[in-house]
Amino acid sequence: MPTEDLMLPPLLRIENVKKRFGSTRALNGVSFDLGHGEVLGLIGDNGAGKSTLVNVIAGVHRPDEGGIYVDGVEQQLGSPREAQQAGIETVFQYLSLIPTLTITDNIFLNRELYGPGTILHAMRRVDRKEMRRRVEGAYQRLGLDLPPPDTKVIALSGGQRQAVAIARAVIWERQVVVLDEPTAALGVRQTLVVLSFIRRLKEHGVSVIVITHNMEHVLAMSDRIIVLRLGRKVGDLITSETSGRDLVERMTGAAQIQLEAGNPDE
Amino acid sequence: MNWPASSSNVGGTSATTSPRLRRRRSTSQAERRRRLATWVQQNGVLFALLLMGAFFVSRSDRFLTRGNINIVLLQVAVTGIIAVPAGLLILAGYVDLSVGSVMVLSSVAFGQVFKSSGSVTVAIVVAVLVGVAWGLTSGFFVSFLSFSPIVVTLGGLAAARGIAQVWSQSITVSGFGDAFGKLGTGRWFDTPIPIYVAATVLLMGFYAWNQSTAGRHLAAIGSDEVAARAMGIRTKLLPFLLYGLSGLAAAIGGLIVTSQLDGASVSIGQGEELTVLTAVLLGGVSFKGGRGSLLGVLSGLLFLGSLRNGLILLKVGTFWQQVAVGAALFFAAALDVLYQRLERVALEKASDSDDVDHVTEALGAN
Repeated sequence: MPTEDLMLPPLLRIENVKKRFGSTRALNGVSFDLGHGEVLGLIGDNGAGKSTLVNVIAGVHRPDEGGIYVDGVEQQLGSPREAQQAGIETVFQYLSLIPTLTITDNIFLNRELYGPGTILHAMRRVDRKEMRRRVEGAYQRLGLDLPPPDTKVIALSGGQRQAVAIARAVIWERQVVVLDEPTAALGVRQTLVVLSFIRRLKEHGVSVIVITHNMEHVLAMSDRIIVLRLGRKVGDLITSETSGRDLVERMTGAAQIQLEAGNPDE
Repeated sequence: MNWPASSSNVGGTSATTSPRLRRRRSTSQAERRRRLATWVQQNGVLFALLLMGAFFVSRSDRFLTRGNINIVLLQVAVTGIIAVPAGLLILAGYVDLSVGSVMVLSSVAFGQVFKSSGSVTVAIVVAVLVGVAWGLTSGFFVSFLSFSPIVVTLGGLAAARGIAQVWSQSITVSGFGDAFGKLGTGRWFDTPIPIYVAATVLLMGFYAWNQSTAGRHLAAIGSDEVAARAMGIRTKLLPFLLYGLSGLAAAIGGLIVTSQLDGASVSIGQGEELTVLTAVLLGGVSFKGGRGSLLGVLSGLLFLGSLRNGLILLKVGTFWQQVAVGAALFFAAALDVLYQRLERVALEKASDSDDVDHVTEALGAN
């Protein structure tokens, strides 16, 4: 597949997405592509439209205008569930993990596997063994050093919880994982843990969009960086060809930037 | 913080052998603490039950006889039937304080419908419908309109008994016939029928609690409702339906007591909500929601029944029984705190060791 990259449509294409809340234009025509196995950094100041864009991709908000394409096929992402079915898993800043349930139960929450011996539809018997086996498989594939799958999430550190959320995306074989501020609440050590997990995702051919406001992290982990400012894209840069200073200038509007070619009008 | 874009070295195996070993050891220690904590939480009452049982056996020849065991089980049967949905409600972070009054309302409904229709079957159907409807109504206000569960069901506690008194004019209807009498007083294989009913409900409860998605979804709701909703769990529908089951269980309990008394008396079910709550909380189900097992609830139930029975056999006065129940509840609260402290200690240990070695690993791979 990688050799045919030029022939394939991009894995994810965001085209001229607009979203307004009342009189606020949160997104004013944002477009970008995400390639297979690419780690894309998404940065911007507060109010740049990062969260709105994440919510649009995650299926939380419907865009007012514009389209979302996965493998060239237009998607209507009306709910988080539909986004997941389209292959997009979003790990929000405030993780949707249940502290008193185990790692396995969290990964399979509301998507449980069922064994034989079904009685009533709502009372189907869950297949604990199979779910545990798959979690262990994901640990191995990703080289995750997490506590055993039947450990409760309450006993995990912040970095480990991120890892569980990421493992959830991998088990469900999502093509795109969106990480919303994955390192915001973490210390230096746990940040390193999460950075190494993102690299492993990439090694497994998963494309990642990382939303962050930490310049150092985005330069360290991404292949490409998109800069948002006031609901518009003001930069689409190859990471190795840019600098923190350039990014900050674009984020704050210190330098007037010509929009990249291929961008929508206005 | 270097970031090699194309690293094929997944684990950095040779460089990290010794930290891995170190981590294994400390994790297993943390894991042991965690398992101990879980065990204490889930089996603390079971352990207390066995200790107390041994004590009563040593003091009384009658305690462990077949007849006495039947008495204990029969006494907790109705509480047990109601404790299954009640325990699940508390697991989900809700509570139903109206069960004692729903018992008497169903009983009076049974009595009044029997008096006017003469049919036990019709009367049973109406009694059950009244219980379920009352439960669903509470559930509607609590789940869908987000009213306080304590306030709504406390209101139900007062209102349902009031309605029962007005409806029956406090007159006890009786004479329901032998067939209905069997429900409360009949025996199969020398064991009272209510015990079979309770056993069936408990088995269904074990399935719902441990094997079905409903059980883990309710635990998720009790643990973190916002996160549960974000995962697409039906955080309003499930508790709503569970309130209906709570009403159903109370109606069944009310019918069993009515059968035992052969009378739809307005005094039925008085204080039952507190007995149920005591059994559930003794069983280690956290009142904050999210934690608890049905095995614990069953142990709490048996503990409560044996305690009363044993103290009667030892001819200890009823007020001392109440003191003993109070002391046991205090003990359960202490266990809950101990459990959470153990869990936190385990957390600190786990995160310390894991982080250091993940860092070693992350750096080693560079």
